[in-house]
Amino acid sequence: MLRDITIGQYYREESVIHRLDPRVKLAGTFIYIILLFIFDNIWGYALATLAFAVVVKASRIPLKFILKGLRPILFLLLLTVFFNMFFVTGTHVILQYGIIRITWEGLKSAAFMGIRLILLILGSSLMTYTTTPNHLTDGLEKGLNWMNKFKVPIHEIAMMMSIALRFIPILLEETDIIMKAQSARGVDFEHGRVWTRAKNMVPILVPLFISAFRRANDLARAMEARCYRGGEGRTKMKPLVYARRDRAAYLLVVVYIALLIAGDRTLAYFL
Amino acid sequence: MSIVLDKVSHIYDLGTANERFALKDISLQIKDGEFIGLIGHTGSGKSTLVQHLNGLLKANYGTVYYNGEDIYAKDYSMKKLRQKVGLVFQYPEHQLFETTVIKDVKFGPKNMGLPQLEVDMRAFEALKQVGIGDDLLDASPFELSGGQRRRVAIAGILAMQPEVLILDEPTAGLDPKGREEILEQIARLHKERNITIILVSHSMEDVAKYAQRLLVMNRGRVVLDGAPQDIFPHYEEIEKIGLAAPQITYVMQSLKEAGLPVDTSITDLEQAVENICRYTKNVN
Repeated sequence: MLRDITIGQYYREESVIHRLDPRVKLAGTFIYIILLFIFDNIWGYALATLAFAVVVKASRIPLKFILKGLRPILFLLLLTVFFNMFFVTGTHVILQYGIIRITWEGLKSAAFMGIRLILLILGSSLMTYTTTPNHLTDGLEKGLNWMNKFKVPIHEIAMMMSIALRFIPILLEETDIIMKAQSARGVDFEHGRVWTRAKNMVPILVPLFISAFRRANDLARAMEARCYRGGEGRTKMKPLVYARRDRAAYLLVVVYIALLIAGDRTLAYFL
Repeated sequence: MSIVLDKVSHIYDLGTANERFALKDISLQIKDGEFIGLIGHTGSGKSTLVQHLNGLLKANYGTVYYNGEDIYAKDYSMKKLRQKVGLVFQYPEHQLFETTVIKDVKFGPKNMGLPQLEVDMRAFEALKQVGIGDDLLDASPFELSGGQRRRVAIAGILAMQPEVLILDEPTAGLDPKGREEILEQIARLHKERNITIILVSHSMEDVAKYAQRLLVMNRGRVVLDGAPQDIFPHYEEIEKIGLAAPQITYVMQSLKEAGLPVDTSITDLEQAVENICRYTKNVN
């Protein structure tokens, strides 16, 4: 029932992208997203799409699987495109019918918005597909270590994140079992009015909350029994160390930025 | 009146890279009033199999018939089926949610749409059957001990008065006394109300004493099917799939190898003692 949810899903595969240091992937994705907003012209999007295609190819994840990640935002995507198409005002009218008015500017804005949104989602989901949650939080912790100086408890935040991520599949499975158990007691989740369906959530939510608290309690005790006392002085079994391929990846990011700026200037010069 | 499985196969994550068989081509018949022990180690498909019996999982191939009716037929009522085939999940106490014990037990019969009086009667009766006293009726389920909570959860299914009662590892995580109590109560239910019982377990010890028929599962298939006394002599086969025969079987087997002509098919402690005594007296 709930197996289809793919938040933060990891796709197991052997590839260069999978082996990259998580800090590189985090920084790369962050920069990629920011640049999507800065260079919002045809050159920017073309290069961004090309870069995305290259990374997908290198990651060896089937494109079909990656595109599946768009399904949850399909509605939002269509809505955005729709509003941009009809409500962006412009001077070059292509089609006018009553109050409906489609302009060249509106179409352009709709297309750009759509592409930007798609690349935004796919780019960030590519990061989670190629990085295990544990690796991701490790990268976050080490990459943002400097924030400790400003009294930001970065280790604690990273630990909370990794625990939260770890709990998602467990709680999903638990929900599945509880739903089945209550179905066995005659609850019908598929039919009925909105009110009855809402009421049917109680026999799921109460046991789910209790189990979440129980698990949290168990985990806290287990951590204490292993003498966990926060991040200070804590060492790692497998510390993150940059390898050659990570430096090469950083270099590629710099090249990407340079290409974007160069293309943007050239474009500005000619127009 | 029976449950018939006709070539049932179930595949998890069909069409993805993680695709795997949970059940492979299972055909079997469960007759009315049988007490069946379903055994297999973790991941052998026991839980998956029992969830097919009340339609919580749908077979990818094959069909399940309940009393001769195809449960996958379009107009077949799953709700009715689930009332007749009661399934107690593993750790059923984790599904309690009401504020009092009695309210939680009433939940099932209430969902069946029975009149208030009938609901009350069934709830009281079910709690009595599992040995929960009147003093605990208005207690919060969360104030009870682990064993008591489990019995309340089982009562929640019993109150629906199913014709078939399936219990998935009902003794998991209980102490020896709690185990014994639960198993005795299930055996009594079987005797008094003559309902079909399917007891899922990975412990031969638990099942051997009560079940009339054993189904041993391995990797999604039923590999052995028969009465306990016929199955336990195959203990080498049972060990091969990661299970152990009851201790009594081992004792009897060693005695026989040592030259005492005891009956190795015995699984009951008292019978075993009697059997051994008979021969040792002859020797003396």
